[in-house]
Amino acid sequence: MKRLSLLLALVLVVALSLGAGAQKIIEITYWTHTDDNRTLIENRYIAEFQKMYPNVRVKRVVNEAAKMGDLVLTAFSANNAPDLFNLPIEQEYGYMMQGRVSPVDYAAIGVKDANALRAEYMPGTFDSVTVGGKIYGLPLEITNWAIYINKKIFRSVGLDPEKDYPKTWEEMADISEKLTLRNGDIITRRGFDFRYPYYLVSLLPMVEQLGGALLSPDGKKAIVNDAAWLKVLKFMKEWGPYGRNLGSPTYPAPRKIWNKDNNDMAMCLSGFYQQGRLKIDNEAFFDSNEWMVVPFPVFKDAVNDVRCSYYGHFLMVNAQAPKEKQEMAWKLSAYMLSHPMEYLNIVNIIIPKKDMLDSKEFKSLPYMDVFMDDMAKSHMVFLHENGYQFERFIGDAVQAVMMSKVTEQEALNTLRQRIQEVLDEQ
Amino acid sequence: MRQRRGFSMEQRKARWGWIFVTPSLLFFFVFSFYPIFNSFYLSFFRKNLLSLKPPTFIGLDNYKYLMRSSLFWQSVKNTAVFTVGAFLPLLVLSLILAAFIMTRPRFRKGFQMLLYSPAALSSVVAALIWLLIFDPRGIANQALNALMNTSGVNYHWLSSPGMLRLSTIIVYVWKYVGYFTVIFVAGIGAIPGSLHEAALIDGADRWTDFWHITFPLLKPTTLLVSVMAMIQCLKTFSTQYLFVTSGAMSQPIEVITLNIYNTAIKDYSIGRASAMSVLLFLVMLTFTWVQLRLSRTEEVSYM
Repeated sequence: MKRLSLLLALVLVVALSLGAGAQKIIEITYWTHTDDNRTLIENRYIAEFQKMYPNVRVKRVVNEAAKMGDLVLTAFSANNAPDLFNLPIEQEYGYMMQGRVSPVDYAAIGVKDANALRAEYMPGTFDSVTVGGKIYGLPLEITNWAIYINKKIFRSVGLDPEKDYPKTWEEMADISEKLTLRNGDIITRRGFDFRYPYYLVSLLPMVEQLGGALLSPDGKKAIVNDAAWLKVLKFMKEWGPYGRNLGSPTYPAPRKIWNKDNNDMAMCLSGFYQQGRLKIDNEAFFDSNEWMVVPFPVFKDAVNDVRCSYYGHFLMVNAQAPKEKQEMAWKLSAYMLSHPMEYLNIVNIIIPKKDMLDSKEFKSLPYMDVFMDDMAKSHMVFLHENGYQFERFIGDAVQAVMMSKVTEQEALNTLRQRIQEVLDEQ
Repeated sequence: MRQRRGFSMEQRKARWGWIFVTPSLLFFFVFSFYPIFNSFYLSFFRKNLLSLKPPTFIGLDNYKYLMRSSLFWQSVKNTAVFTVGAFLPLLVLSLILAAFIMTRPRFRKGFQMLLYSPAALSSVVAALIWLLIFDPRGIANQALNALMNTSGVNYHWLSSPGMLRLSTIIVYVWKYVGYFTVIFVAGIGAIPGSLHEAALIDGADRWTDFWHITFPLLKPTTLLVSVMAMIQCLKTFSTQYLFVTSGAMSQPIEVITLNIYNTAIKDYSIGRASAMSVLLFLVMLTFTWVQLRLSRTEEVSYM
């Protein structure tokens, strides 16, 4: 009997000690888009975070940027979404509106309240992710685009890149004409070309420069100022293969081939992050001092000095995840984002923390002044629950004028009708 | 024979049959029937793909909307143009290739493998390869310039509505012609050799033999291939999707499946997308029914 009691006591002690030692494992799934540099540093942050919280396992899943929107959407619609993710704010907007993401857990990230969080960042950073006074995301990056120039190509046609760079869209077309090389109709070197799928970021500001807008201030009427839209559509028509033949959406993406310095792309539109990618793709060109960055052009008769819109990628947390996962996901986000300088130096993305923006190191980075000056003259990308859909409609209008016999007026009428139909349904 | 546990041999065989078939049936129910029924159900509701709110019943409103939507009719037109454009070359080319292969017994296996290989290739890879070919500086322009004895002419493979439609058809025919050729080869192979021998004895040449023996006896296979090819063409998606995402304009090649994708995934309108899927399903069901009806009257017996 004594032996049996001793054995039972031993079993009890072992069971209790095992129970006390075994903490519940929290597994966080984090979905993000491809970026080798960011993967490098974030994997390190995750390893450090897991050391700080031994009961946490983070599964970082990398998806192709172009597919990320569809993947996150289908995962959310199947109620099987990641706990933490990032997307461009235009796409994330719908998730906030539909209550699919949770507000920032201020206690988890170590701030008192929303105002304390705002105080750490550039003014206006959280405007696009604030609904009903609550903040729904932490900024992984805020980006705007400017024009990257290959100086050698400019000089090859007798232009001085420092003086002759395009300041207006009219100059952009004329200079591109000089820089473009063709074999018959086929372009073998483009002067400049647009980033076609991103019409809300870069084409809508061109309309705004001329006094136009996508929606009326009350959001009920589609297309404000026909003349502005028609002028931009005419500009794009002339740009296309049946006009001055300066470029087309069917040619390879400019910013990718610009890096190669293969004498086939003189200018491209991109963000500060382009420099990081250039360094990886073509270090010799990066170090060559043969490239420069200039502001986003404006039309000669612009009524508003609006530059390329800036957009953000925000880290957001799935509102359907269990509370302890949400808390840990916010803690992880805050931990990763507490290294803004490393993100800037290694990934070339800007986490708009005040301390960093005010630092000498930040201000001395190549062409940072160009990006910051442009950002001061621009605004956050157009946000709407149907923004993604509107962008597709704008794209259809631009492609119709560039690549078919559709007139600017016909394309604008179709665009207006399609957007108005969506607005009227709401 | 002694019956075990009171079951006859037939019953036992049937029981094993059910055991073997059950996994496939389950798979079918989960991945085919359930989505079909769910789409049908959802087509009567307004539902935002992202919303957690329950769907709102709207009766036939999604269908009514589609009937007056110019975008929907444009996608119907695009699907019809593509189907007709791809279906005829697929049918004719695969028959010609099969007849050719059957006359070359030494190289039959090699030809079949060669022709079938694009079908085994992922649609994404196939479209990417062809995007490079159709690039203004790609092989397509170079070849056509050499053929037409021109220099530097851009034939706008991806940047004019007509050529863009043709480009998607070329990709599709290239990808699936081998698949249907293999079916035709099997059909031709099933025709008893004695019939050809009898024809030859009666003085028929190869051409007469093909038109009077092979072709009539191939009717069931031709019917099967034509219906399969048509249904396949109606479901086309990946080529158009990849072309559009690579900068080609969407208006001429936005087929119904691409419209369904955009409506559900980009516009979050899953109810409307489901209504479109149901309509497409009904069209395909009609073709299948027609095929079954016709195949009954076209059965061939070699007895």
